[in-house]
Amino acid sequence: MAELLASGGSMEMVRAAFDNGADAVYVGATGWSRRRAEFEMDDAAIVEAHRYARSAGKILRVAFNTLPASSEVPLFLARTDALYAAGVRDFILTDPGLMMALKNRHPDTIIHASVGCTIINIQDALFYKEAGASQVVAECRMGKTTMRRIKAEAGVGLEVLVHATTCYTLLGRCTMSSYTKHGHKVDASGKDHFPGSPNRGGLCYRICLTEWDQVGAAGEIEASGVELPNRAYFLADDIPYLIDHGVDTIKIQGREYSVPLVGRMVRFYRELIDACVRDRAGFRMDPWRERMARIVADRDAERREKTAGLIGESLGR
Amino acid sequence: MCLGSPYCRRVAGNYAEALDLLPGVVSRLHAAGKRAYVATPAAPREADLPHVGRLVDAAAAAGADALEIHNMGVLRIVREKGGPVPAHMGAYANVYTHLAAAVMRDAGAVRVRPNAEVSLGEMAILAREAGVEVEVLVHGKIPLGVTDRCFLLTEPEESDPKCPSACREVHWLTSRQWVLKTVGKGVLSGRDMCLLEHLPRLVADGFRVFRVEGLYETAAYRSEIGAVYREALTRAFAGGAYALEDRWADAARRHAPRGLCNGYCFGTAGRTYVGTVLQDANSGV
Repeated sequence: MAELLASGGSMEMVRAAFDNGADAVYVGATGWSRRRAEFEMDDAAIVEAHRYARSAGKILRVAFNTLPASSEVPLFLARTDALYAAGVRDFILTDPGLMMALKNRHPDTIIHASVGCTIINIQDALFYKEAGASQVVAECRMGKTTMRRIKAEAGVGLEVLVHATTCYTLLGRCTMSSYTKHGHKVDASGKDHFPGSPNRGGLCYRICLTEWDQVGAAGEIEASGVELPNRAYFLADDIPYLIDHGVDTIKIQGREYSVPLVGRMVRFYRELIDACVRDRAGFRMDPWRERMARIVADRDAERREKTAGLIGESLGR
Repeated sequence: MCLGSPYCRRVAGNYAEALDLLPGVVSRLHAAGKRAYVATPAAPREADLPHVGRLVDAAAAAGADALEIHNMGVLRIVREKGGPVPAHMGAYANVYTHLAAAVMRDAGAVRVRPNAEVSLGEMAILAREAGVEVEVLVHGKIPLGVTDRCFLLTEPEESDPKCPSACREVHWLTSRQWVLKTVGKGVLSGRDMCLLEHLPRLVADGFRVFRVEGLYETAAYRSEIGAVYREALTRAFAGGAYALEDRWADAARRHAPRGLCNGYCFGTAGRTYVGTVLQDANSGV
């Protein structure tokens, strides 16, 4: 049965996700994941979360899915060595070089290729498999034909994000945020958090979500208040399909949301998946829609507030 | 010269789509003493992969000197075919570390263009540790994002009458103090990257491959900016005193209506200009 993977932006969120039915939770190592430090964890917290997961017979995955500087590779190796020594075996990575280095150093680690790898076709999946990944995250707009092909032919696990955003550009291939504002914040370990770069340090200012004017060559306004589409989605109708086609992991993104909201999302998907598996033939989506709409409305309210803050931050306000 | 476009297969004049024209244009470039590279799609979906296979074969048959590759799946396809053409990793290949560059080298890459966010200092480490050529963007729009849905169309691309002409026109996106350029399936910087005044440093740091990006620019842009850099690089490699000629600076300003930048190279935001000669290009834009 598909694993339900949820976000862990804090120890409190890790507990809430597991307690509400997640089979696995991912957390970000401070400075090394696609979120800012306040939604990441230091090593002591990661080890505590790992123990909590183990005590419940569940899995904690640790994301090191930024694209660091070459000079930071020794920091990566030292930090993953320490977590490995503490029993952590599950990692989420983006850089294929780091994947190979970690796999060569600790062959029994389990590496998942992050959404930041932008895996959009079966050849991508095979490339990351050869780099050491045993599971790949499908790019958010991946079609069902490609999913089926990866499942049937690639020999890697497939992870699908059911709660995430479809960025204006392909996630993992965008530097619009750091083009407008980009800084350096080096922590005590020597890791640069590259504020402003989602690829390098996790903080994206979401400038695509501000209002844009489209202007022609001579300065004429072609369209005002243009939206660069970046939509948060909450997939539920596709859950039966994902289960039927053997998708290995159903993932709920959202470390930056509130703990109660993440708990409600996890509970919703847990019950939905269980109901679908229990009675596949008789399963209907309709009874779930009202509850889903309430969660989506609360999610959107939190997202709007966060986005306004990020855009303001990018403007120095 | 790099032929084709990584952004869109439907873009007008895309040699990477007109496979029967490739041998002729590659021959003409070779006869002129130039090298011919062929761009591959940056975001090929499953349905595009058969075309990618044909493109690799056609580029090899035409005698192209390299393929520009942005997608790891495309790199794998080239490797599976036995590497009939050397691979140059493009800006969207997300090369940030020497370890990633080494993985790509082992898969057939002989040259990498690090992601736009990688600074000159990081590029030097990458070149030294990975043992691959590093290509530096010295002038032109910085690639900031790629997608497979055209922003300039309202209907599916097969039926929208604006395709493929919409991306031949200039379209800026402006908001507050920011300016970007949209080319439909790509987002580029509004300002033009310019390292003209920093060429001696690049030469001293050991870089030997420099790119002037001419995608979605006019022929005048390509020829005038290209000529400026040919002359400036010749002078930088000669050593000795190096100062910008007024006509070089004039050309850079004239072709950059939204200003100049070079920020990522020095570790700052991409839209900033670090330097002492051309910073005035951003006043009033």
